[in-house]
Amino acid sequence: MDRNKILLNIQRSRIKPVNLPEPFCSAEKEGDKTILFKEMLMQTGGDCIEVNSTEELNSLLDNNFRGATDLRRNELFKNFLSYSNKDSLERLKTVILEGQFGVAENGSIWIDDSNFPNRLIPFITEELVLCLDAKQIVRNMHEAYLRTDNAISGFGVFISGPSKTSDIEQHLVYGAHGAKKLIVVISHETNLV
Amino acid sequence: MTNHAHRAARFLKNEERAAWHDKTLWMVRKKRDLMALDVPDWEELREQASQIKRHSLSKLDDYLVQFEEQAINNGAQVHWASTAGKLNEIVYQIIKENNASRIVKSKSMLTEECGLNPFLEKRGIEIIDTDLGERIIQLKREPPSHIVMPAIHIKKEEISELFHRELNSEEGNTDPTYLAATARLHLRQKFIEAEVAITGVNFAVAENGAVVVCTNEGNADMGVHAAPIQIHCMGIEKVIPRLSDLAVFTRLLARSATGQPITTYTSHYLNPKPGGQMHIIIVDNGRSELIGKEDYRDSLKCIRCGACMNTCPVYRRSGGHSYHYVIPGPIGSILAPHSNSKEYEDLPFASSLCGSCSDVCPVKIDIHGQLYRWRQDLSQQGARSPIKKGIMKVSGKILASDKMYDWSGKAARWCIKYLPRVLIYNRLNTWGRERELPEVPRESFKEWYNKNFREGDKNGQK
Repeated sequence: MDRNKILLNIQRSRIKPVNLPEPFCSAEKEGDKTILFKEMLMQTGGDCIEVNSTEELNSLLDNNFRGATDLRRNELFKNFLSYSNKDSLERLKTVILEGQFGVAENGSIWIDDSNFPNRLIPFITEELVLCLDAKQIVRNMHEAYLRTDNAISGFGVFISGPSKTSDIEQHLVYGAHGAKKLIVVISHETNLV
Repeated sequence: MTNHAHRAARFLKNEERAAWHDKTLWMVRKKRDLMALDVPDWEELREQASQIKRHSLSKLDDYLVQFEEQAINNGAQVHWASTAGKLNEIVYQIIKENNASRIVKSKSMLTEECGLNPFLEKRGIEIIDTDLGERIIQLKREPPSHIVMPAIHIKKEEISELFHRELNSEEGNTDPTYLAATARLHLRQKFIEAEVAITGVNFAVAENGAVVVCTNEGNADMGVHAAPIQIHCMGIEKVIPRLSDLAVFTRLLARSATGQPITTYTSHYLNPKPGGQMHIIIVDNGRSELIGKEDYRDSLKCIRCGACMNTCPVYRRSGGHSYHYVIPGPIGSILAPHSNSKEYEDLPFASSLCGSCSDVCPVKIDIHGQLYRWRQDLSQQGARSPIKKGIMKVSGKILASDKMYDWSGKAARWCIKYLPRVLIYNRLNTWGRERELPEVPRESFKEWYNKNFREGDKNGQK
């Protein structure tokens, strides 16, 4: 009932049609995409590590994030399938996920349901490590949404830096509710894991 | 009756705090400027955003139906609420049907507008606001004073005291990091226990039924993914046609709001989690009527970034509470009288009409133009006081007559120069309050002009 009432009301005040502009792509910012991405990532409070091979990546994760929950591969998902167990998720310290692509203009990384077995994981973990192939960096949000190819399903998110708040006198504090730390490992090699 | 000016005067009594408020918001405005300058084609981006919104409003019924269809296909349940009361009822029903009692909510100006919290509280349901700023004002039992920074009017000493009392934090510890950590622990528990999570909506995409929510804290996601039931409340004007349009708005929103390139989390919700429920409530509450008002329609383009507040010389110096409407500042002042033109008749006058709000608006709403328009409409409805009316009448006469104008100017200059202070700086002369009147010139511009250019022709050329 309310549905028709609202729709009728809108139709009644129907205004002159206004054209929808063509999809827009603004002029590109000069410079190397990876360098821009890194700059923006730092600005948003994220950390960045670069590696040049799969071996280097694996040994880095082994050495720096020992004991982390590595969810870069789907085989590892089954341990986390149970939805109800929020308490076990609450104990997550460090989680490693595969990032799909990065956006140079704002240092954000896209991940969706295919990258984690439970949607709470990227937020509830204390520390989030996202691995990113340097070739998968697009310039801006226009390219980013093109890149999703209209195939977003379920849940997807752009993450830019660690969770933060400035609600107390505009003092910037990291770790409001989500991850306190975000580390992005950029790989400069083609074949990842 | 108190109006904006009275409440602003109350805010200004605490000079130090008022100065801090002014300075802090200006700092946010400057951060916005740096961001805007850094984006190539910023102005074109604003134009795009404006056109997409204008287009969406012109076909809103079609897009809402398309959005509904897609959302249902995705597995969401869509509800429609023509009024604030209906929204509250629907949320209440969902909570009841699921026997839920633990509710968390992330920021939503719409539920604030509809009075959802008090409605549920009256029915014995506690609802926890999870945005840190919103939690602070909820514990303090105050309304938000800004749409993006709801607790911008509160100092850390007060928050420390509040948290000590309510959350058992260390007495006298005013370190923002410590206080935020206290809130994190407190709210973590609420997230884990939550049965229902309510969010606002930044954008709804017609072509794929996605609901998009932007936060820095991650509180919307913590709630939505932890609770079995998620409810998204959106105004009808939130719908945009295509996924690609999101690029335009996500580029503008955070840059305009807080001077960040993008919010920390830009979340796209399309379907419920396994075994969960996803509800979307589409709310009208006067919006469809506003579409019909040509002069004011554009105010529905607003994406709630708050840039018009941060830049507004009146808002910065009068505080959000002086507006007594759910949305303060310039944009609130054009939305408020639409919801109740009698109660909020003072708000369109709480502006210097400097136009800075329109200059920074990411969707190019002619905010100060609409404020000016409202003044005329409200004056016709009799909003002006008899005194102001009288003054206007007399001024009109004086300004229409050459002689009277010359004489009154002379008289004023003489008075300010020769009358004793007590006569000039009295209660009636509000312009002499808290400030000295400018030094009086020896002659008027007209006199000076006539003396210097007299021999020239009518255009004043020698």
